[in-house]
Amino acid sequence: MDFNIKRKSTKIVVTGSMVESYPHDLQMYKIPPIEHVTLQEFETLALERVTLLRSLATATTLKGLRAFSEEWKEYILSDLRNQGLKYYARLCEITRCGTTDADLQARRKDHIAHFILRLAYCRNEELRRWFIARELELFKMRFMTMSGEAIDVFFNLNNLSYTNISDEDKTSIITYLRESTPYQNIDNMKFYKVKFFDVLDLVKSRKVFLKDGFAYIPHKDFVSVLSAQFRKHLRQSLAVACQHLGEVEQDERLVCLLKGLHQSYSGNDYSNTKAMVPIESLDSLSIKSFPLCMRQLHEQLRLSHHLKHGGRLQYGLFLKGIGVTLEDSLRFWREEFTKIMDLEKFEKQYSYNVRYNYGKEGSKRNYSPFSCLRIINETVGPGDCHGCPYRHCDVNNLKNRLSGYGIDQQAVHEIIDITKKGHFQVACSKYFDIIHNLDIGLGINHPNQYFEESQKLSKGEIKVDVKREKVNVKIENVEDLEIDDFIE
Amino acid sequence: MVGQYDENLLSDMLPLYYSKYFPVKIFCRWLSCGNSPYPLCNRELSFTLADDVYLRYISISDQKELQTQFQKKCPHKLDIGAVYFAKPSIARHDSVVLARELVFDIDLTDYDEVRTCCKEAKVCEKCWKFMVVACEIIDISLKADFGFQHVLWVFSGRRGIHCWISDYEARILDTPGRGAIADYLCLIMGGENQSKKVHLGNDNLHSSIRRALDVIDIYFEDILNEQEFIGSSDRLKAFLKLIPDDTLRNQVEKRLEKLPESSLERWKNFVAVYDSFSRENGYAMRKMKYLVEEIKIQYCYPRLDINVTKGFNHLLKSPFSIHPKTGKVSIVFKAQNAKNFKLDEVPTIHSLLDDSTAESVEHNNNMKSAVKHFQEFVFSLEKAEAMRRKTDASKNL
Ligand code: SF4
Ligand SMILES: [Zn+2]
Repeated sequence: MDFNIKRKSTKIVVTGSMVESYPHDLQMYKIPPIEHVTLQEFETLALERVTLLRSLATATTLKGLRAFSEEWKEYILSDLRNQGLKYYARLCEITRCGTTDADLQARRKDHIAHFILRLAYCRNEELRRWFIARELELFKMRFMTMSGEAIDVFFNLNNLSYTNISDEDKTSIITYLRESTPYQNIDNMKFYKVKFFDVLDLVKSRKVFLKDGFAYIPHKDFVSVLSAQFRKHLRQSLAVACQHLGEVEQDERLVCLLKGLHQSYSGNDYSNTKAMVPIESLDSLSIKSFPLCMRQLHEQLRLSHHLKHGGRLQYGLFLKGIGVTLEDSLRFWREEFTKIMDLEKFEKQYSYNVRYNYGKEGSKRNYSPFSCLRIINETVGPGDCHGCPYRHCDVNNLKNRLSGYGIDQQAVHEIIDITKKGHFQVACSKYFDIIHNLDIGLGINHPNQYFEESQKLSKGEIKVDVKREKVNVKIENVEDLEIDDFIE
Repeated sequence: MVGQYDENLLSDMLPLYYSKYFPVKIFCRWLSCGNSPYPLCNRELSFTLADDVYLRYISISDQKELQTQFQKKCPHKLDIGAVYFAKPSIARHDSVVLARELVFDIDLTDYDEVRTCCKEAKVCEKCWKFMVVACEIIDISLKADFGFQHVLWVFSGRRGIHCWISDYEARILDTPGRGAIADYLCLIMGGENQSKKVHLGNDNLHSSIRRALDVIDIYFEDILNEQEFIGSSDRLKAFLKLIPDDTLRNQVEKRLEKLPESSLERWKNFVAVYDSFSRENGYAMRKMKYLVEEIKIQYCYPRLDINVTKGFNHLLKSPFSIHPKTGKVSIVFKAQNAKNFKLDEVPTIHSLLDDSTAESVEHNNNMKSAVKHFQEFVFSLEKAEAMRRKTDASKNL
């Protein structure tokens, strides 16, 4: 017996051949990855997948696009490209079974990231529900873009074998199939018989013919069968993951990251803010409430009266996000820039930029301020001082800067240590704590989030953690109510 | 007569009712079967005592204990909950729910928007027809579409009906599964601020909707006549709101206004106007392809309380429990007999116990046949359960 088990388990090793491990773009995520991942990659992959899932949610909820429609998919693909997530765009655009290195790398990331997020999203029912819904959308979207050949391969790989119903059987129910299946050319389609609970989404929307507990579906509706399986499997896995969280969270850095991840999804992209921040207060705010990346840009601007394009974009959008109006913004940039150039040049070359950020020029899009993920992945060239200082400054420079701000040596060392491990946002969180004289280990994922949390603290509002707990309590009460309310 | 019933006497009558009339033995067999493979004591029961004292998480391990509890606590109302991972009296609600019959709750108060004969708690033979239609439509769908065989219909005791599905597949169905079935059966949607609540689109009508319309058609003219949906000018106004197209609405209004206040007459005219309109206005018809069907459905199709169906652990009034407000027994009945169901033939605790009442003999007989039907239901369920366990066992060999 023992012998058998050993042989079996050696087979599962994913690190073997990449081609063997990742033969297909679409995965059911049945086997967890067991290779070693650096903390830095762990974090990057996690954040990138949150971005991907958030993009799906935005497409449906914020943009109001019909799920799985062409526009919906279009939006997601372009969003992924904008965010620099080319490998996800690639996986989502067409699902295939190629074997190029890019294919394999993308699948590997997809695989690992999915499992990391399971850890972050298994914590409570609300998170689980959100995660399952998004992963399911992703799965369906990818299934739908599969070519016939890739579908066959996928079915083979996952041991899914179904036989279609006989012609006689089909003829006997053909009237009903025509009535109840929402496709043209029913007569030419092969039909398959599955249990009704395998295709609940079709049942729910009355898009399938049911008889004696069986649903009769054409080939293309198999996406429903698979997504039902996928959903079930994922729900169970999340329950299991939740029970084992304790083991994973031995490592404090992981705890911090995993908890922060879900906070990072606030549904807020900071592109519309109601607050009003006068530009006169920017100097003091930059010290009290700006994350290092923005403080650095602000100081640079004050010092040299100029910022290069990347910096103007990153800082300009951030300012918009915290509540600086377009008029104020123009005045702010104008005042600085005209110290080294004449007004005419500024108006000609730079005011366009500012108005562009506010959606008044060019494509007139209401651009969102950049997230940490975006900033961290920015390419920073010579003369640029945008980007994330933890990522884009060398250690000495960072050390001097922090010391220059009057942060004590002990704390500077701590931040530098975390930074060296490639844990940029954790370092940012540490900086937050030091500036505010706290120890809360906030999960930072967006400079504007950093700013808002800081403002909340200075205005004496309750801490985020406390808030979150309150919400949970509420939910529990609702459940109790429900039970009692519906007694008949 | 119902008028003789006095809620204050309930506490005196119940002990005798429970010992003499409540089918304790078969009831426990039903629950055991529904619990399988978990022990009977994992099922949650709840008692409502006099003065609305409400006890949850009661569990019993056998028939004897149930009878003892009945005599000791004398519940005015008995509800049934889910099967838990452990004894619910110990585990409470943080324990995992393992199984539960799939249930439906249809109540006439949800028809207040359409019924004109009664409101709220009231009910009469006229509006009871809505329940007949509901029962027939749901019953056939559960059996023909979902393949369920053990479908039990129970009178709720006042103005509605409950349905319990005991098939194994139904009992272990998870929340999304229950939700999907509820949604499949639910055609009327929208709140107080939406007049038109049924939208069938313009594709083919799903087979199950066609079949439901066949059932509605049997009763439609009858109900229309009795309810006078479009009789008065107020009701006509409400009816016109269901027509989405201005031109058609005006045409219909002009034609119907002049007619006498007979709903049937007005309806026939509406259909005639609609038919000629649809022949002339092909394009405008796209959004009204099924207008006639939609209105019929809005008037007559079952209105489910889908939260009861979706929730795994909602408590639902037990068969043969007494309704404390009416004294009526929640008798079980066969779906095919729904149309013969007469509200005043339902046994009450009073007419059962007091043989001097005029209905006593009739009600005692009705009680007996209800219990007999329940027995038959449980026997066939037990047979199916035995079969299932046998196949399961051989599968596991
Ligand atoms: S982590 Fe984000 S907020 Fe913090 S410094 Fe980097 S980019 Fe700025
Ligand atoms: Zn009535």
